[in-house]
Amino acid sequence: MSLNVCTDQLVLELADLDQIVSLSNLSGDPRLSFLHDKAAKFPKNSGLAEEVFLAHPDIVVTGTYSLHNTALILQKAKIPVEQFEYAQTLDTIPGDILRMGRILHHEDRAKALAASFEEKLSRFRAMPRGKRPSAVVFEQNGVALGAGTLADSVLGAAGFRNLVAEQGYSGMVPYPLELLVRDKPDVVLVTHSYEKAPSLADEIARHPAVKALGSDTTGNVVPPGSWACGGAFTMEAVEALRRLRDTLSKPKTGHSG
Amino acid sequence: MRPGLRTLFLTILVVVALACSLLIGPAGLAPWTSLRSLIAGGGEAATIIMRDIRLPRALLGLMVGASLGLSGAALQGFLRNPLAEPGIIGVSATASLGAVIVFYSGVAGLSVLALPAGALLGALVAVIVLLAIAAGNAGTLTLILAGVALSSLSAALTSLVLNLSPNPFASYEIIFWLLGSLKDRSMVHVWICAPLMIAGWLLIFRCGRALDALSLGEETAASLGIDLNRTRLMLVGGVALCVGAGTAVTGVIGFVGLVVPHVLRPFTDKLPSSLLLASSLGGAVLLLAADIASRIIVPGHELNVGVLTAMVGAPFFLWLVIHSRREVFS
Repeated sequence: MSLNVCTDQLVLELADLDQIVSLSNLSGDPRLSFLHDKAAKFPKNSGLAEEVFLAHPDIVVTGTYSLHNTALILQKAKIPVEQFEYAQTLDTIPGDILRMGRILHHEDRAKALAASFEEKLSRFRAMPRGKRPSAVVFEQNGVALGAGTLADSVLGAAGFRNLVAEQGYSGMVPYPLELLVRDKPDVVLVTHSYEKAPSLADEIARHPAVKALGSDTTGNVVPPGSWACGGAFTMEAVEALRRLRDTLSKPKTGHSG
Repeated sequence: MRPGLRTLFLTILVVVALACSLLIGPAGLAPWTSLRSLIAGGGEAATIIMRDIRLPRALLGLMVGASLGLSGAALQGFLRNPLAEPGIIGVSATASLGAVIVFYSGVAGLSVLALPAGALLGALVAVIVLLAIAAGNAGTLTLILAGVALSSLSAALTSLVLNLSPNPFASYEIIFWLLGSLKDRSMVHVWICAPLMIAGWLLIFRCGRALDALSLGEETAASLGIDLNRTRLMLVGGVALCVGAGTAVTGVIGFVGLVVPHVLRPFTDKLPSSLLLASSLGGAVLLLAADIASRIIVPGHELNVGVLTAMVGAPFFLWLVIHSRREVFS
Protein backbone atom coordinates (compact mmCIF):
# COMPACT_ATOMS: atom_id res chain seq x y z
CA MET A 1 0.00 0.00 0.00
CA SER A 2 1.49 3.36 -1.03
CA LEU A 3 0.46 6.74 0.38
CA ASN A 4 2.64 9.04 -1.71
CA VAL A 5 2.58 9.84 -5.41
CA CYS A 6 6.33 9.24 -5.73
CA THR A 7 6.36 5.87 -3.98
CA ASP A 8 3.20 4.99 -5.98
CA GLN A 9 5.21 5.16 -9.14
CA LEU A 10 8.18 3.20 -7.81
CA VAL A 11 5.70 0.51 -6.79
CA LEU A 12 4.06 0.57 -10.21
CA GLU A 13 7.40 0.09 -11.91
CA LEU A 14 8.36 -2.94 -9.85
CA ALA A 15 5.44 -4.73 -8.22
CA ASP A 16 3.28 -7.58 -9.47
CA LEU A 17 -0.31 -6.44 -9.96
CA ASP A 18 -1.66 -8.50 -7.08
CA GLN A 19 0.91 -7.04 -4.68
CA ILE A 20 -0.70 -3.60 -4.76
CA VAL A 21 -3.46 -2.94 -2.19
CA SER A 22 -3.98 0.72 -3.10
CA LEU A 23 -2.17 3.83 -4.33
CA SER A 24 -2.50 7.48 -3.35
CA ASN A 25 -5.20 9.68 -4.88
CA LEU A 26 -2.60 11.75 -6.70
CA SER A 27 -1.31 8.73 -8.61
CA GLY A 28 -4.19 9.26 -11.04
CA ASP A 29 -3.38 12.93 -11.67
CA PRO A 30 -1.81 13.12 -15.13
CA ARG A 31 0.10 16.28 -14.22
CA LEU A 32 1.90 14.85 -11.23
CA SER A 33 2.00 11.17 -11.97
CA PHE A 34 3.77 9.99 -15.10
CA LEU A 35 2.34 6.50 -14.66
CA HIS A 36 -1.25 7.68 -14.17
CA ASP A 37 -2.57 5.35 -16.89
CA LYS A 38 -1.09 2.38 -15.17
CA ALA A 39 -2.35 3.64 -11.80
CA ALA A 40 -5.91 3.93 -13.06
CA LYS A 41 -6.91 0.33 -12.42
CA PHE A 42 -5.92 0.27 -8.74
CA PRO A 43 -7.94 1.39 -5.73
CA LYS A 44 -6.96 4.80 -4.32
CA ASN A 45 -6.40 6.01 -0.77
CA SER A 46 -6.24 9.53 0.70
CA GLY A 47 -3.33 8.74 2.96
CA LEU A 48 -5.42 8.36 6.15
CA ALA A 49 -4.29 6.06 8.93
CA GLU A 50 -7.84 4.64 9.16
CA GLU A 51 -7.68 3.43 5.59
CA VAL A 52 -4.45 1.61 6.35
CA PHE A 53 -5.95 -0.10 9.42
CA LEU A 54 -8.92 -1.30 7.35
CA ALA A 55 -6.83 -2.57 4.45
CA HIS A 56 -4.21 -4.15 6.68
CA PRO A 57 -1.37 -4.33 4.15
CA ASP A 58 1.88 -6.19 4.80
CA ILE A 59 3.80 -2.97 4.40
CA VAL A 60 3.15 0.73 3.80
CA VAL A 61 5.46 2.84 1.63
CA THR A 62 5.36 6.63 1.72
CA GLY A 63 7.56 9.72 1.45
CA THR A 64 9.26 11.59 4.26
CA TYR A 65 7.99 14.80 2.74
CA SER A 66 4.37 14.62 3.87
CA LEU A 67 1.96 12.62 6.04
CA HIS A 68 4.43 12.62 8.87
CA ASN A 69 1.71 12.17 11.47
CA THR A 70 0.16 9.26 9.64
CA ALA A 71 3.50 7.48 9.52
CA LEU A 72 3.94 8.00 13.27
CA ILE A 73 0.52 6.55 14.08
CA LEU A 74 1.17 3.53 11.87
CA GLN A 75 4.54 2.89 13.46
CA LYS A 76 2.92 3.00 16.88
CA ALA A 77 0.34 0.47 15.67
CA LYS A 78 3.21 -1.80 14.59
CA ILE A 79 2.36 -1.63 10.90
CA PRO A 80 5.66 -1.63 8.99
CA VAL A 81 6.26 1.69 7.22
CA GLU A 82 9.04 2.39 4.74
CA GLN A 83 9.66 6.07 4.12
CA PHE A 84 11.44 7.33 1.03
CA GLU A 85 13.33 10.60 0.87
CA TYR A 86 11.78 13.13 -1.44
CA ALA A 87 13.89 12.29 -4.53
CA GLN A 88 16.66 14.85 -4.75
CA THR A 89 18.66 14.14 -7.90
CA LEU A 90 19.04 11.72 -10.76
CA ASP A 91 21.81 10.01 -8.82
CA THR A 92 19.56 8.95 -5.95
CA ILE A 93 17.00 7.30 -8.25
CA PRO A 94 18.82 3.97 -8.78
CA GLY A 95 19.20 3.63 -5.00
CA ASP A 96 15.48 4.19 -4.51
CA ILE A 97 14.65 1.66 -7.20
CA LEU A 98 16.86 -0.97 -5.55
CA ARG A 99 15.36 -0.26 -2.13
CA MET A 100 11.81 -0.61 -3.45
CA GLY A 101 12.87 -3.82 -5.14
CA ARG A 102 14.01 -5.25 -1.80
CA ILE A 103 10.75 -4.21 -0.14
CA LEU A 104 8.66 -5.86 -2.86
CA HIS A 105 10.90 -8.95 -3.13
CA HIS A 106 11.72 -8.21 -6.75
CA GLU A 107 15.40 -7.52 -6.44
CA ASP A 108 16.32 -8.84 -9.87
CA ARG A 109 13.75 -6.67 -11.57
CA ALA A 110 14.98 -3.64 -9.63
CA LYS A 111 18.62 -4.36 -10.41
CA ALA A 112 17.90 -4.54 -14.14
CA LEU A 113 15.85 -1.33 -14.05
CA ALA A 114 18.46 0.57 -12.03
CA ALA A 115 21.26 -0.64 -14.24
CA SER A 116 19.54 0.44 -17.44
CA PHE A 117 18.77 3.82 -15.84
CA GLU A 118 22.40 4.32 -14.87
CA GLU A 119 23.58 3.24 -18.27
CA LYS A 120 21.28 5.75 -20.02
CA LEU A 121 22.29 8.48 -17.60
CA SER A 122 25.98 8.00 -18.17
CA ARG A 123 25.38 7.97 -21.91
CA PHE A 124 23.68 11.39 -21.64
CA ARG A 125 26.43 12.74 -19.44
CA ALA A 126 29.11 11.55 -21.85
CA MET A 127 27.54 13.45 -24.74
CA PRO A 128 29.56 16.38 -26.06
CA ARG A 129 28.76 19.40 -23.90
CA GLY A 130 29.04 22.08 -26.55
CA LYS A 131 27.24 25.32 -25.92
CA ARG A 132 24.88 25.00 -22.97
CA PRO A 133 21.70 27.06 -23.31
CA SER A 134 20.32 28.62 -20.14
CA ALA A 135 17.00 27.52 -18.69
CA VAL A 136 14.66 28.42 -15.86
CA VAL A 137 11.98 26.10 -14.56
CA PHE A 138 9.23 28.53 -13.62
CA GLU A 139 6.37 26.79 -11.91
CA GLN A 140 3.05 27.90 -10.49
CA ASN A 141 3.11 31.03 -8.34
CA GLY A 142 6.48 32.02 -9.74
CA VAL A 143 8.30 29.30 -7.86
CA ALA A 144 11.52 28.27 -9.55
CA LEU A 145 13.60 25.15 -9.05
CA GLY A 146 17.13 25.88 -7.85
CA ALA A 147 20.17 23.81 -6.98
CA GLY A 148 19.71 20.43 -5.34
CA THR A 149 16.35 19.70 -6.98
CA LEU A 150 15.57 16.82 -9.29
CA ALA A 151 14.83 19.31 -12.07
CA ASP A 152 18.26 20.88 -11.61
CA SER A 153 20.03 17.58 -12.14
CA VAL A 154 17.76 16.73 -15.08
CA LEU A 155 18.65 20.07 -16.71
CA GLY A 156 22.33 19.41 -16.11
CA ALA A 157 22.19 15.94 -17.63
CA ALA A 158 20.35 17.27 -20.66
CA GLY A 159 23.02 19.89 -21.28
CA PHE A 160 21.34 23.02 -19.91
CA ARG A 161 22.53 25.58 -17.39
CA ASN A 162 20.04 26.15 -14.61
CA LEU A 163 20.06 29.92 -14.32
CA VAL A 164 18.27 29.84 -10.98
CA ALA A 165 20.90 27.59 -9.40
CA GLU A 166 23.65 29.82 -10.83
CA GLN A 167 22.13 32.78 -8.99
CA GLY A 168 22.66 30.92 -5.74
CA TYR A 169 19.09 29.76 -5.20
CA SER A 170 18.54 26.22 -4.00
CA GLY A 171 15.44 24.12 -3.54
CA MET A 172 12.00 25.33 -4.57
CA VAL A 173 12.14 29.10 -4.22
CA PRO A 174 9.93 32.04 -5.11
CA TYR A 175 11.76 33.66 -7.99
CA PRO A 176 11.04 37.30 -8.79
CA LEU A 177 9.49 37.84 -12.20
CA GLU A 178 11.80 40.84 -12.63
CA LEU A 179 14.91 38.66 -12.49
CA LEU A 180 13.45 36.33 -15.08
CA VAL A 181 12.92 39.26 -17.43
CA ARG A 182 16.35 40.76 -16.70
CA ASP A 183 18.33 37.57 -17.34
CA LYS A 184 16.33 36.42 -20.33
CA PRO A 185 17.02 32.67 -20.27
CA ASP A 186 17.00 30.78 -23.58
CA VAL A 187 14.25 28.52 -22.34
CA VAL A 188 11.56 29.08 -19.73
CA LEU A 189 9.89 25.84 -18.77
CA VAL A 190 6.46 26.56 -17.35
CA THR A 191 4.09 23.99 -15.98
CA HIS A 192 0.94 23.00 -17.75
CA SER A 193 -1.99 24.72 -16.09
CA TYR A 194 -5.18 23.06 -14.99
CA GLU A 195 -7.58 24.20 -17.67
CA LYS A 196 -10.78 23.23 -15.94
CA ALA A 197 -9.93 24.51 -12.48
CA PRO A 198 -8.40 27.97 -12.60
CA SER A 199 -6.06 29.26 -9.94
CA LEU A 200 -4.06 32.44 -9.49
CA ALA A 201 -0.97 30.26 -9.28
CA ASP A 202 -1.34 29.36 -12.95
CA GLU A 203 -1.81 32.97 -14.03
CA ILE A 204 1.86 33.80 -13.64
CA ALA A 205 2.79 31.81 -16.74
CA ARG A 206 0.41 33.98 -18.75
CA HIS A 207 1.72 37.28 -17.35
CA PRO A 208 2.42 39.73 -20.20
CA ALA A 209 6.00 40.09 -18.97
CA VAL A 210 6.62 36.37 -19.36
CA LYS A 211 5.05 36.39 -22.81
CA ALA A 212 7.11 39.41 -23.83
CA LEU A 213 10.33 37.57 -22.99
CA GLY A 214 10.50 35.97 -26.40
CA SER A 215 12.26 32.95 -24.90
CA ASP A 216 10.74 29.58 -25.59
CA THR A 217 8.05 29.44 -22.95
CA THR A 218 6.25 26.22 -23.21
CA GLY A 219 4.52 23.77 -21.00
CA ASN A 220 4.85 20.98 -23.51
CA VAL A 221 8.54 20.11 -23.55
CA VAL A 222 8.81 17.79 -20.61
CA PRO A 223 6.23 14.98 -20.40
CA PRO A 224 3.86 15.91 -17.54
CA GLY A 225 4.81 14.27 -14.27
CA SER A 226 8.10 12.86 -15.54
CA TRP A 227 10.20 14.99 -13.22
CA ALA A 228 7.80 15.66 -10.40
CA CYS A 229 8.98 12.40 -8.87
CA GLY A 230 12.12 10.38 -9.39
CA GLY A 231 11.78 7.01 -11.09
CA ALA A 232 13.04 5.18 -14.13
CA PHE A 233 10.62 7.29 -16.15
CA THR A 234 12.50 10.49 -15.19
CA MET A 235 14.83 9.58 -18.05
CA GLU A 236 11.95 10.67 -20.34
CA ALA A 237 12.41 14.21 -19.04
CA VAL A 238 16.14 14.09 -19.72
CA GLU A 239 15.49 12.79 -23.24
CA ALA A 240 12.88 15.44 -24.00
CA LEU A 241 15.12 18.26 -22.78
CA ARG A 242 18.10 16.91 -24.69
CA ARG A 243 16.02 16.95 -27.88
CA LEU A 244 15.02 20.55 -27.14
CA ARG A 245 18.63 21.48 -26.53
CA ASP A 246 19.70 19.96 -29.83
CA THR A 247 17.06 21.89 -31.77
CA LEU A 248 18.12 25.07 -29.98
CA SER A 249 21.79 24.73 -30.81
CA LYS A 250 21.30 23.92 -34.49
CA PRO A 251 20.29 27.34 -35.82
CA LYS A 252 22.84 29.90 -34.68
CA THR A 253 21.15 32.22 -32.23
CA GLY A 254 22.59 35.41 -30.87
CA HIS A 255 22.51 34.34 -27.24
CA SER A 256 25.73 33.75 -25.43
CA GLY A 257 25.92 30.23 -24.11
CA MET B 1 -4.25 73.84 7.32
CA ARG B 2 -5.48 75.57 4.18
CA PRO B 3 -7.19 73.16 1.78
CA GLY B 4 -4.94 74.09 -1.15
CA LEU B 5 -1.78 73.59 0.86
CA ARG B 6 -3.05 70.31 2.28
CA THR B 7 -3.87 68.94 -1.14
CA LEU B 8 -0.52 70.05 -2.52
CA PHE B 9 1.38 68.42 0.34
CA LEU B 10 -0.53 65.14 0.00
CA THR B 11 -0.09 65.17 -3.77
CA ILE B 12 3.67 65.52 -3.34
CA LEU B 13 3.63 62.53 -0.99
CA VAL B 14 1.67 60.50 -3.56
CA VAL B 15 4.17 61.36 -6.29
CA VAL B 16 7.13 60.44 -4.08
CA ALA B 17 5.54 57.13 -3.05
CA LEU B 18 4.66 56.33 -6.67
CA ALA B 19 8.22 57.07 -7.79
CA CYS B 20 9.71 54.90 -5.04
CA SER B 21 7.35 52.08 -5.95
CA LEU B 22 8.51 52.29 -9.57
CA LEU B 23 12.21 52.45 -8.72
CA ILE B 24 12.45 49.65 -6.16
CA GLY B 25 12.61 46.05 -7.28
CA PRO B 26 14.76 42.92 -7.23
CA ALA B 27 16.19 43.58 -10.71
CA GLY B 28 18.17 46.51 -9.29
CA LEU B 29 17.85 48.84 -12.28
CA ALA B 30 19.49 52.25 -12.02
CA PRO B 31 16.88 54.98 -11.40
CA TRP B 32 17.75 56.81 -14.60
CA THR B 33 17.52 53.61 -16.70
CA SER B 34 14.21 52.77 -15.07
CA LEU B 35 12.59 56.10 -15.86
CA ARG B 36 13.98 56.26 -19.38
CA SER B 37 12.76 52.75 -20.27
CA LEU B 38 9.39 53.45 -18.67
CA ILE B 39 8.78 56.56 -20.70
CA ALA B 40 10.83 56.20 -23.87
CA GLY B 41 11.09 52.42 -24.17
CA GLY B 42 14.29 50.89 -25.51
CA GLY B 43 16.48 48.48 -23.55
CA GLU B 44 14.15 45.52 -23.98
CA ALA B 45 14.32 43.83 -20.57
CA ALA B 46 14.20 47.07 -18.60
CA THR B 47 11.18 48.24 -20.55
CA ILE B 48 9.29 45.00 -19.87
CA ILE B 49 10.18 45.21 -16.20
CA MET B 50 9.03 48.81 -15.93
CA ARG B 51 5.94 48.70 -18.12
CA ASP B 52 4.62 45.20 -17.45
CA ILE B 53 5.65 44.55 -13.86
CA ARG B 54 6.32 47.72 -11.88
CA LEU B 55 3.93 50.18 -13.52
CA PRO B 56 0.76 48.09 -13.01
CA ARG B 57 1.81 47.41 -9.45
CA ALA B 58 2.34 51.08 -8.65
CA LEU B 59 -0.87 52.13 -10.40
CA LEU B 60 -2.91 49.52 -8.53
CA GLY B 61 -1.38 50.64 -5.24
CA LEU B 62 -2.40 54.18 -6.04
CA MET B 63 -5.93 53.36 -7.20
CA VAL B 64 -6.82 50.75 -4.60
CA GLY B 65 -5.33 52.85 -1.79
CA ALA B 66 -7.27 55.91 -2.91
CA SER B 67 -10.48 53.87 -3.16
CA LEU B 68 -10.08 52.46 0.34
CA GLY B 69 -9.23 55.84 1.88
CA LEU B 70 -12.15 57.50 0.13
CA SER B 71 -14.62 54.75 1.04
CA GLY B 72 -13.50 54.86 4.65
CA ALA B 73 -13.98 58.63 4.88
CA ALA B 74 -17.39 58.46 3.19
CA LEU B 75 -18.64 55.59 5.37
CA GLN B 76 -17.46 57.22 8.58
CA GLY B 77 -19.20 60.43 7.57
CA PHE B 78 -22.44 58.89 6.40
CA LEU B 79 -22.86 56.43 9.25
CA ARG B 80 -21.46 58.91 11.78
CA ASN B 81 -19.46 55.99 13.07
CA PRO B 82 -15.72 56.38 13.69
CA LEU B 83 -15.11 52.65 13.28
CA ALA B 84 -16.69 52.29 9.84
CA GLU B 85 -14.35 51.09 7.12
CA PRO B 86 -14.80 48.70 4.15
CA GLY B 87 -12.62 46.04 5.76
CA ILE B 88 -14.13 46.17 9.22
CA ILE B 89 -17.77 46.33 8.20
CA GLY B 90 -17.25 43.33 5.93
CA VAL B 91 -17.54 44.88 2.49
CA SER B 92 -14.04 43.82 1.41
CA ALA B 93 -14.54 40.26 2.63
CA THR B 94 -17.82 39.78 0.75
CA ALA B 95 -16.31 41.36 -2.35
CA SER B 96 -13.49 38.87 -2.08
CA LEU B 97 -15.97 36.01 -1.74
CA GLY B 98 -17.79 37.17 -4.86
CA ALA B 99 -14.52 37.31 -6.80
CA VAL B 100 -13.43 33.90 -5.54
CA ILE B 101 -16.69 32.23 -6.57
CA VAL B 102 -16.50 33.71 -10.04
CA PHE B 103 -12.79 33.01 -10.50
CA TYR B 104 -12.57 29.43 -9.27
CA SER B 105 -15.79 28.26 -10.88
CA GLY B 106 -14.19 29.17 -14.20
CA VAL B 107 -16.79 31.80 -15.04
CA ALA B 108 -14.08 34.47 -15.01
CA GLY B 109 -12.46 32.74 -17.99
CA LEU B 110 -15.50 33.57 -20.12
CA SER B 111 -15.25 37.34 -19.85
CA VAL B 112 -12.85 39.82 -18.30
CA LEU B 113 -15.81 41.60 -16.80
CA ALA B 114 -17.02 38.58 -14.82
CA LEU B 115 -14.39 38.86 -12.09
CA PRO B 116 -15.08 42.47 -11.08
CA ALA B 117 -18.80 41.83 -11.51
CA GLY B 118 -18.63 39.02 -8.95
CA ALA B 119 -16.71 41.19 -6.49
CA LEU B 120 -19.07 44.08 -7.08
CA LEU B 121 -22.07 41.94 -6.34
CA GLY B 122 -20.44 40.70 -3.14
CA ALA B 123 -19.63 44.23 -2.01
CA LEU B 124 -23.12 45.41 -2.87
CA VAL B 125 -24.75 42.72 -0.73
CA ALA B 126 -22.63 43.74 2.25
CA VAL B 127 -23.23 47.47 1.89
CA ILE B 128 -26.99 46.99 1.58
CA VAL B 129 -27.18 44.65 4.57
CA LEU B 130 -25.16 47.08 6.67
CA LEU B 131 -27.11 50.15 5.68
CA ALA B 132 -30.33 48.30 6.48
CA ILE B 133 -28.97 47.59 9.92
CA ALA B 134 -27.79 51.18 10.31
CA ALA B 135 -31.21 52.48 9.21
CA GLY B 136 -32.77 50.66 12.16
CA ASN B 137 -31.09 53.28 14.31
CA ALA B 138 -28.49 50.87 15.55
CA GLY B 139 -25.58 52.00 17.68
CA THR B 140 -21.95 52.16 16.66
CA LEU B 141 -21.25 48.76 18.08
CA THR B 142 -24.13 46.91 16.38
CA LEU B 143 -22.87 47.89 12.97
CA ILE B 144 -19.32 46.82 13.74
CA LEU B 145 -20.49 43.50 15.15
CA ALA B 146 -22.64 42.90 12.09
CA GLY B 147 -19.53 43.59 10.03
CA VAL B 148 -17.53 41.10 12.06
CA ALA B 149 -20.18 38.44 11.45
CA LEU B 150 -20.27 39.20 7.74
CA SER B 151 -16.47 39.13 7.49
CA SER B 152 -16.12 35.82 9.32
CA LEU B 153 -18.84 34.21 7.23
CA SER B 154 -17.31 35.43 3.98
CA ALA B 155 -13.80 34.36 5.00
CA ALA B 156 -15.11 30.90 5.88
CA LEU B 157 -17.00 30.57 2.61
CA THR B 158 -13.97 31.84 0.68
CA SER B 159 -11.85 29.12 2.28
CA LEU B 160 -14.54 26.56 1.51
CA VAL B 161 -14.69 27.46 -2.17
CA LEU B 162 -10.90 27.32 -2.44
CA ASN B 163 -10.68 24.00 -0.61
CA LEU B 164 -13.29 22.48 -2.92
CA SER B 165 -11.40 23.49 -6.05
CA PRO B 166 -9.82 20.49 -7.77
CA ASN B 167 -6.74 22.62 -8.46
CA PRO B 168 -4.19 21.73 -5.75
CA PHE B 169 -2.83 25.28 -5.71
CA ALA B 170 -6.16 26.90 -4.95
CA SER B 171 -6.07 26.27 -1.22
CA TYR B 172 -2.75 28.15 -0.95
CA GLU B 173 -4.50 31.14 -2.45
CA ILE B 174 -6.68 31.64 0.61
CA ILE B 175 -3.91 33.89 1.88
CA PHE B 176 -4.08 36.09 -1.21
CA TRP B 177 -7.82 36.60 -0.99
CA LEU B 178 -7.87 37.23 2.76
CA LEU B 179 -4.65 39.25 3.06
CA GLY B 180 -4.35 40.91 -0.34
CA SER B 181 -1.26 41.46 -2.44
CA LEU B 182 -0.14 43.58 -5.38
CA LYS B 183 2.47 41.06 -6.49
CA ASP B 184 2.85 40.26 -10.19
CA ARG B 185 -0.32 41.99 -11.30
CA SER B 186 -0.43 43.21 -14.89
CA MET B 187 -1.91 46.09 -16.87
CA VAL B 188 -4.87 43.83 -17.62
CA HIS B 189 -5.81 44.08 -13.96
CA VAL B 190 -5.46 47.87 -14.07
CA TRP B 191 -7.81 48.09 -17.04
CA ILE B 192 -10.30 45.71 -15.41
CA CYS B 193 -10.76 47.85 -12.35
CA ALA B 194 -9.99 51.41 -13.47
CA PRO B 195 -13.34 52.32 -15.10
CA LEU B 196 -15.40 50.91 -12.22
CA MET B 197 -13.25 52.63 -9.63
CA ILE B 198 -13.43 55.99 -11.33
CA ALA B 199 -17.22 55.68 -11.51
CA GLY B 200 -17.23 54.89 -7.81
CA TRP B 201 -15.04 57.89 -6.99
CA LEU B 202 -17.37 60.21 -8.90
CA LEU B 203 -20.44 58.90 -7.08
CA ILE B 204 -18.84 59.33 -3.66
CA PHE B 205 -17.46 62.81 -4.35
CA ARG B 206 -20.92 63.94 -5.43
CA CYS B 207 -22.17 63.01 -1.94
CA GLY B 208 -19.82 65.53 -0.31
CA ARG B 209 -22.35 68.27 0.40
CA ALA B 210 -24.94 65.78 1.62
CA LEU B 211 -22.40 64.28 4.01
CA ASP B 212 -21.67 67.73 5.46
CA ALA B 213 -25.37 68.35 6.03
CA LEU B 214 -25.78 64.89 7.55
CA SER B 215 -23.15 65.64 10.17
CA LEU B 216 -25.76 67.99 11.64
CA GLY B 217 -28.26 65.14 11.95
CA GLU B 218 -30.73 63.60 9.54
CA GLU B 219 -33.59 66.00 10.21
CA THR B 220 -31.44 69.07 9.75
CA ALA B 221 -30.07 67.57 6.58
CA ALA B 222 -33.57 66.95 5.26
CA SER B 223 -34.55 70.54 6.07
CA LEU B 224 -31.48 71.70 4.12
CA GLY B 225 -32.92 69.93 1.07
CA ILE B 226 -30.81 66.79 1.13
CA ASP B 227 -32.47 63.77 -0.40
CA LEU B 228 -31.38 61.09 2.03
CA ASN B 229 -32.45 58.14 -0.11
CA ARG B 230 -30.60 59.43 -3.13
CA THR B 231 -27.47 60.02 -1.07
CA ARG B 232 -27.71 56.53 0.36
CA LEU B 233 -28.02 54.99 -3.11
CA MET B 234 -25.08 56.96 -4.46
CA LEU B 235 -22.94 56.03 -1.49
CA VAL B 236 -23.85 52.35 -1.64
CA GLY B 237 -23.07 52.30 -5.34
CA GLY B 238 -19.86 54.27 -4.95
CA VAL B 239 -18.41 52.17 -2.14
CA ALA B 240 -19.40 48.90 -3.80
CA LEU B 241 -17.81 50.00 -7.10
CA CYS B 242 -14.55 51.18 -5.49
CA VAL B 243 -14.06 48.35 -3.06
CA GLY B 244 -15.44 45.64 -5.33
CA ALA B 245 -13.23 46.56 -8.27
CA GLY B 246 -10.14 46.81 -6.08
CA THR B 247 -10.73 43.59 -4.16
CA ALA B 248 -11.32 41.69 -7.41
CA VAL B 249 -7.69 42.23 -8.40
CA THR B 250 -5.80 42.56 -5.10
CA GLY B 251 -7.74 40.57 -2.49
CA VAL B 252 -8.76 42.07 0.86
CA ILE B 253 -6.56 44.90 2.08
CA GLY B 254 -7.83 46.03 5.45
CA PHE B 255 -7.58 49.06 7.70
CA VAL B 256 -6.44 51.60 5.09
CA GLY B 257 -9.90 53.17 5.10
CA LEU B 258 -9.92 53.26 8.88
CA VAL B 259 -6.54 54.77 9.64
CA VAL B 260 -6.29 57.39 6.92
CA PRO B 261 -9.40 59.49 7.68
CA HIS B 262 -8.55 59.58 11.38
CA VAL B 263 -4.98 60.65 10.78
CA LEU B 264 -6.03 63.39 8.36
CA ARG B 265 -9.17 64.67 10.13
CA PRO B 266 -7.25 67.04 12.47
CA PHE B 267 -5.79 68.77 9.41
CA THR B 268 -9.22 69.52 7.95
CA ASP B 269 -12.12 71.71 9.06
CA LYS B 270 -13.73 68.46 10.33
CA LEU B 271 -16.35 68.54 7.59
CA PRO B 272 -16.75 65.16 5.87
CA SER B 273 -16.59 66.71 2.42
CA SER B 274 -13.15 68.21 2.93
CA LEU B 275 -11.92 64.85 4.18
CA LEU B 276 -12.87 63.00 0.99
CA LEU B 277 -10.09 64.22 -1.29
CA ALA B 278 -7.54 64.23 1.51
CA SER B 279 -8.37 60.63 2.42
CA SER B 280 -8.11 59.47 -1.18
CA LEU B 281 -4.62 60.90 -1.48
CA GLY B 282 -3.67 59.67 1.98
CA GLY B 283 -4.97 56.17 1.23
CA ALA B 284 -2.87 56.04 -1.92
CA VAL B 285 0.25 57.11 0.02
CA LEU B 286 -0.37 54.56 2.77
CA LEU B 287 -0.95 51.61 0.45
CA LEU B 288 1.99 52.48 -1.80
CA ALA B 289 4.23 52.76 1.25
CA ALA B 290 2.95 49.50 2.72
CA ASP B 291 3.49 47.76 -0.61
CA ILE B 292 7.08 49.04 -0.83
CA ALA B 293 7.69 47.86 2.74
CA SER B 294 6.22 44.43 1.94
CA ARG B 295 8.83 44.06 -0.78
CA ILE B 296 11.91 45.09 1.19
CA ILE B 297 11.36 44.10 4.85
CA VAL B 298 12.33 40.47 4.32
CA PRO B 299 14.87 40.34 1.46
CA GLY B 300 14.05 37.76 -1.17
CA HIS B 301 10.69 36.98 0.34
CA GLU B 302 7.64 39.07 -0.35
CA LEU B 303 5.01 39.64 2.32
CA ASN B 304 1.32 40.09 1.70
CA VAL B 305 0.58 43.78 1.88
CA GLY B 306 -2.60 43.09 3.88
CA VAL B 307 -0.42 41.69 6.67
CA LEU B 308 1.36 45.02 6.98
CA THR B 309 -1.75 47.20 6.84
CA ALA B 310 -3.30 44.99 9.50
CA MET B 311 -0.23 45.24 11.71
CA VAL B 312 -0.50 49.01 11.64
CA GLY B 313 -4.29 49.18 11.47
CA ALA B 314 -5.42 46.64 14.03
CA PRO B 315 -3.69 48.23 17.05
CA PHE B 316 -5.02 51.58 15.84
CA PHE B 317 -8.52 50.09 15.67
CA LEU B 318 -8.18 48.81 19.22
CA TRP B 319 -7.04 52.21 20.43
CA LEU B 320 -9.97 53.79 18.62
CA VAL B 321 -12.49 51.40 20.18
CA ILE B 322 -11.28 52.28 23.66
CA HIS B 323 -10.95 55.96 22.86
CA SER B 324 -14.33 56.43 21.18
CA ARG B 325 -16.18 55.09 24.20
CA ARG B 326 -15.16 58.21 26.04
CA GLU B 327 -15.31 60.78 23.33
CA VAL B 328 -18.37 61.43 21.20
CA PHE B 329 -17.50 61.35 17.55
CA SER B 330 -18.28 64.55 15.73
